[in-house]
Amino acid sequence: MQFDTGRSPAIQFTPRQRWSVAITYIVIAFGFALGVNQRDSALNQASEYRNLEAGIAALYPARWFLEESGSYVFRVRDMAHLGFKTIIEVSTSPVGPDTTERNIFDQLSLQRSQVLIDYTVLGYDNYRLADDSAAVSMSYSFVSRDTSPFLEGVSSIVNALDILTIRRGQALVISFRADERIYQAELETLRWFVQNLEF
Amino acid sequence: MINLRKSAIILLLLPCLVFAQGSAGIDIDRIKRATVFIYFAKSVNNELVVKCVSSGTLISADGLIITNAHSVLPSRQCDGDQIIVSLNVDLSEQPIPKYRAEVFNADEGLDIAILRIARELDGRLIAAGELPILPFVEVGNSSDVSIDDNLILAGYPDFGNRPVAITRGTVTAFIAEPIGRGPSWFKTRAEIPGTMSGGGAYSSAGRLIGIPTNAPLGGLVASASCRYIADTNNDGLVNSSDVCVPTGDFVSTVRPIDHSLSLIRGARHNLKVDFVGSPVDVAQPMNPPQASRFLFAPSVADGAPSTVVGSMPNNTKSLYLFFDYDNMTADTVYELRVTRDGIPETTFSLPPVRWSGAESGLWYIGSREQSWANGAYEFTLLVNGTSVGSQRIIVGGAVENRPQFSDIVFGTLDQGGALVGNGSILPLGDIASARFLFANMRDGHQWSAIWYYRSVEVARTADVWSEGSHGAKVIRVAPNGGLLPGLYRMELYIEGALSATSDFIVAGRPAGPLPEIFGNIRHTAADSLSAARLAPVSSTFPSSIPALYAQFDWRQIAAGTPWTLRWLVDEQVFFQSTNPWLTVESGSDFTVALPSPPDGSYKLQLLLNNLKLAEQEAVVGIGQLPIDRLAQYEGAILTGQVIDAAARRGIPSVTIVLISEDYAASEFEWKEDQVFALATTDRNGNFQFARPLAFDTNYSIVIEADGYIPHAADVFRFSADQPYADIEIAMVRG
Repeated sequence: MQFDTGRSPAIQFTPRQRWSVAITYIVIAFGFALGVNQRDSALNQASEYRNLEAGIAALYPARWFLEESGSYVFRVRDMAHLGFKTIIEVSTSPVGPDTTERNIFDQLSLQRSQVLIDYTVLGYDNYRLADDSAAVSMSYSFVSRDTSPFLEGVSSIVNALDILTIRRGQALVISFRADERIYQAELETLRWFVQNLEF
Repeated sequence: MINLRKSAIILLLLPCLVFAQGSAGIDIDRIKRATVFIYFAKSVNNELVVKCVSSGTLISADGLIITNAHSVLPSRQCDGDQIIVSLNVDLSEQPIPKYRAEVFNADEGLDIAILRIARELDGRLIAAGELPILPFVEVGNSSDVSIDDNLILAGYPDFGNRPVAITRGTVTAFIAEPIGRGPSWFKTRAEIPGTMSGGGAYSSAGRLIGIPTNAPLGGLVASASCRYIADTNNDGLVNSSDVCVPTGDFVSTVRPIDHSLSLIRGARHNLKVDFVGSPVDVAQPMNPPQASRFLFAPSVADGAPSTVVGSMPNNTKSLYLFFDYDNMTADTVYELRVTRDGIPETTFSLPPVRWSGAESGLWYIGSREQSWANGAYEFTLLVNGTSVGSQRIIVGGAVENRPQFSDIVFGTLDQGGALVGNGSILPLGDIASARFLFANMRDGHQWSAIWYYRSVEVARTADVWSEGSHGAKVIRVAPNGGLLPGLYRMELYIEGALSATSDFIVAGRPAGPLPEIFGNIRHTAADSLSAARLAPVSSTFPSSIPALYAQFDWRQIAAGTPWTLRWLVDEQVFFQSTNPWLTVESGSDFTVALPSPPDGSYKLQLLLNNLKLAEQEAVVGIGQLPIDRLAQYEGAILTGQVIDAAARRGIPSVTIVLISEDYAASEFEWKEDQVFALATTDRNGNFQFARPLAFDTNYSIVIEADGYIPHAADVFRFSADQPYADIEIAMVRG
């Protein structure tokens, strides 16, 4: 006995149906691409900061937390990061005719050694700003510890970089601090920030 | 742009929200959290040796602590130089050392100090704004306290070996001394260990109304209570050769909080008065403390006995012991032991406490509106553990209509023969007059008046009474050489027995019936004393001045005359200091400074004998103190844990943003002014908002963590019956 394993006859789409299927795939692909694009653009968007009194304008990563009430002009923090929250902080201070960059760095070091755990200066270097003007930098590290006395805080080793430039009788210091494990990666954010900083 | 991303936030109700049991009435947990344990230690060869211990109470979110001065100021008994603050991290466990503190201001006599947490335990400075918001209690009003009111006493009952303890009791008596308005002490039968001294006494509403206070006699007498807790001489043994940390005896006295309000106010607004080198410090007397001329009075009139009595009738409700004192210092520990028919009467006794008066003068200890049972009372005064005098009085029997003088006031006579003046301060001149009341006198009684200047008799009148039984009489004295600046005293005797006595001060030149002593108060703003003397005088100043200076001139004030300088801001006292006058009798430009005053209306007042003689106001900035956004006391404490929904484990270092009531989560733009508080999870995913959430107020929460789907929740609301909430937030990876 022989069984005939038959096959259903192939479906024959009409030209109109073919076009419909093709258009559907195109729409889906376009929608996906648009979605990805929107997501990327949403993720990579920037927020704008302007302070007319201080004469500072900047772009900073969207969804970073903006603070202006401290001893700085402003600072932004990446609150979504698990671990030490990456910080970019901009501060200004008056300088005298005899003040050097090193004087300012040393003053910062004296203050920080009083408040930061294991504060260590790693070195000094030159830095080139967006307008190709010269600046100097100081890299340092310290240990950050959650200060709440009622919780078992998490300690992090933090690498940091100060970029200092003196203009119009004022010192501008851009302080960048990040968990040592992501410091190198986050430096790109700092470069982007500096490129977009107007002072 | 930001809103595009915001739309990606998945709005979820928090998956698990578990509220802890709310407690009605007093919030004992909050009191416990705000109670700290304090070590006063000395650095010896790079080791900290504990010299004193005490309890304390956090009274502000930014780390102000109120405690006893004797346990945090260097003294013979307690020569520390480092103040270590232990916090109550777990209410059921011992306190844990967390910070170092500094004395912001203190009053040694009142035995109150306000500390400010300034450093981490390892000595690192805490930068401005970096101290986490700490739990604190609200300061109440001790003038509302009545006898038999409930008291809740909080503190640490041991040397840090036991958790914070709560003891309940009642107010059994008020004790009055000449240190200001209201009772000087509350007495309670709820005796608590000496290490709870400096802690808190709370009303039944949970407000801080006093500081349990004793004064350890460690180092002053051999039998004083103390403990050896460490091998401080490195001989391998902990024994009597080591430093003995004084504990004091059981505490049964509470210093009412009203006496501390000016210190607290000054600390809250960071206001410190600088005498700019002007002499106000008293040289420590070398002679031993003394007390003399013990006498009893039924009431007090302007700091003096209204009349002198030798016995009191049935139903006595008010009795005061007066005595003269000399060579006392803020280091001096004094004690009053009262017995009735030979049995200790604890209600009216005063346990060892620090001396709160000047170096010398007239003092009283007493009480009113309290029943004194009939009997033979003996009052014994001890100074630094040694008896310096005693006096007996009989209470009981019928009211005696014995002859008496009372209620002496001093002044000058106007042209009509009426006594004018302020009652206790006279200008320089030739004649001083005194008016007193008399009662039950009979013509023919022998009476006399003796006048003293600086404890030396300068005039005496002895006569036979002929003025009738009741009334008022004015007498005068015209000492040779006139009235000189300084302290005078008058004593009135009937039949050789002292019946009334009072003191008055002569100072300043006559200006009508009143003396002109202080004058020409002026304010300047400058960054140094020399600049202040050249700066223009004004009554209004811009914000952020480096210092507000006040200068004044003075006339004919004798050395040693007690005077008071008082500063007010927005009509509330934040500084008051009474000192003996130590500079020349007349002069100008006495200067005090107020560094970095915040906006406010500042008033300088100058007083003598508690009488305000001059004042001047200056306005800085908008003329009103800034609002403290952390001053909110009432509200819900929100704690919780952020966990990984799949692994059910806590996620460390997640920041939870609590958005203020003015914004919904969808309106949040990651800006500081939209945020009510931030909290970050610890290594176990636990978090705690130390800033209390206002009741019946809508909050929103936003959480973003790398690798997880963001959370947002609106309408986060707590009512007054839910003072604590513990929530669990499950984050989904995505």
